[in-house]
Amino acid sequence: MPLVKRSIEPRHLCHTVLPRAIKNELECVTNVSLANVIRQLSSLSKYAEDLFGELFNEAHSFSFRVNSLQERVDRLSISVTQLDPKEEELSLQDITMRKAFRSSTIQDQQLFARQSLPIPLQETFDLCEQPPPLNILTPYRDDGKEGLKFYTNPSYFFDLWREKMLQDTEDKRKEKRKQKVRGNDRTLEAEKVPRAPHDRKKEWQKLALGAELAEEDPEEALKHREPNGSAAYHDRAPLYLDGMDGPFSLAALPYSQMNELLNRPGDRMYTRPHDPPPPPPMHPLGDIKPPSMISSSSGFSDSRPQSPAQTHGFSSNTPPPPPPPLPPPPPPLPSMSGSGQRGTPPPPIPPLPIQQQPPAIPPPPTLQIAPGVLHPAPPPVAPPLHLSSPARLQQVLDKGPPPGQLDCTLLPPPPPPPPLPLPGARSSSPCPPGPPPPPSFLSGAVASPLSHSSGKKHAACLPPISDARSVLLEAIRKGIQLRKVEEQREQEAAKHERVGNDVATILSRRIAVEYSDSEDESEFDEGDWIE
Amino acid sequence: MSGQDDPVQREIHQDWANREYIEVITSSIKKIADFLNSFDMSCRSRLATLNEKLTALERRIEYIEARLVILSETFTRQL
Repeated sequence: MPLVKRSIEPRHLCHTVLPRAIKNELECVTNVSLANVIRQLSSLSKYAEDLFGELFNEAHSFSFRVNSLQERVDRLSISVTQLDPKEEELSLQDITMRKAFRSSTIQDQQLFARQSLPIPLQETFDLCEQPPPLNILTPYRDDGKEGLKFYTNPSYFFDLWREKMLQDTEDKRKEKRKQKVRGNDRTLEAEKVPRAPHDRKKEWQKLALGAELAEEDPEEALKHREPNGSAAYHDRAPLYLDGMDGPFSLAALPYSQMNELLNRPGDRMYTRPHDPPPPPPMHPLGDIKPPSMISSSSGFSDSRPQSPAQTHGFSSNTPPPPPPPLPPPPPPLPSMSGSGQRGTPPPPIPPLPIQQQPPAIPPPPTLQIAPGVLHPAPPPVAPPLHLSSPARLQQVLDKGPPPGQLDCTLLPPPPPPPPLPLPGARSSSPCPPGPPPPPSFLSGAVASPLSHSSGKKHAACLPPISDARSVLLEAIRKGIQLRKVEEQREQEAAKHERVGNDVATILSRRIAVEYSDSEDESEFDEGDWIE
Repeated sequence: MSGQDDPVQREIHQDWANREYIEVITSSIKKIADFLNSFDMSCRSRLATLNEKLTALERRIEYIEARLVILSETFTRQL
């Protein structure tokens, strides 16, 4: 329904009540109608004046622009005529070696804010009732929010979106750092790295166009298989890098599967903060969709970088360390334990094991291998265990007799938890340097699933130890973690305040984080921060 | 009868005439309003076209200026 911008005021000419003491009613009606006609003419003239005023303002701004353009053209013509006779040699190299030309892309922002409301609509708006004056209660609030925001908040959705975007940029940045660290460890895969950004850009563009177009992904997956045929090796870096694109690249597929896995139907954006580093999700996804991939890969000798790894992982149920396929959680444990617990245990499948583990309590015998190997990193790893212990304890108790074969000395659990407790562990020991501070604001969201996952794996050995001690320890460590989280949250809040209402910068920052290299990212981001 | 009707008839006739007069006025008001709306729309579309052309021109001029700056710099370098 179109919104009426201007309306001519006395809508009905003669819908008035006639005074009683009148002899000639017809004349009375006529006179009333004529008076209303005059009022209508006055509102019409006001309407016209407003209309022409708006048009005039626009044309006036155009005249300024045209004048400035005219000046620039004049200057250019002068400088061109000055240059021509003098120039001798010009090498293309000099031209191209310069800083690349970037035209100023000014984007229109805040188009539909309250300030840009046209005057007649503003007047219509002013005719409406005001909301109750809840802002007089603002001085009495403890949390510093405006009282009226609880009743009606026009910027609610924008604030939500902005928080989401900023969080996602932070997540992406930290994932990048982690992958950089991992990438340093694996120099072999450096060859494969250059492929990834190209795909990422395409995939990001695809995503930018909208979720509907993401359905074209299977077609693109088919297209990608052939060019990436040579990448059908067991390199992990491209897998990780592609995995980083995971949530963004295979838009529809991973999210549907992620959502199934996470039991979180709905907004994919909300699942993103919860899959810390996407590489792990990619591989479980790969395992989850092996039938399709295998069938397609049988048709295509080439396959996407992910699919070979996935089929590889699928075929060999004892996959090499990093991305353990989801279905067999136990095999990864010995393998990962075998790789030793340095600071770089891939934050494998934190949310995913949640669902997988209820059906499959990790088999004890494989875990027994762990103790000797896992001791190198006991303290930082211990906290998560304790964190998870109560949750896991309940589940274990619910499920009946825990497999008593589990070694009770198995305190240091295999990888899954490490990323979480790292912020808490830092206070205790500088042990795991690997994954740079995993987003601690993630810890709040991921804490419970991670604790569940780690708990499920090793809680079997905990009940015999002592519940009270573990609960105490857990509380202590939670305190540590909570403090760290608060500090980081304050930092982030400070960051967010700087951003302001600039949609373009927020989005551009996000894009920069996603598909730029670290160097570019730092340049770009610094520029954005300066803005 | 005619004497009674005459004043009434006269009044009624007069009323009809008045109403027609008012109707003419209101219909012309509506025409003016229609004209203003269509003028507004066409004017906005033309201004938008102008805006696009201006933006394109501005971008081209920026590019040309950048090229000239490069050329002049390389030229001064060679000097």
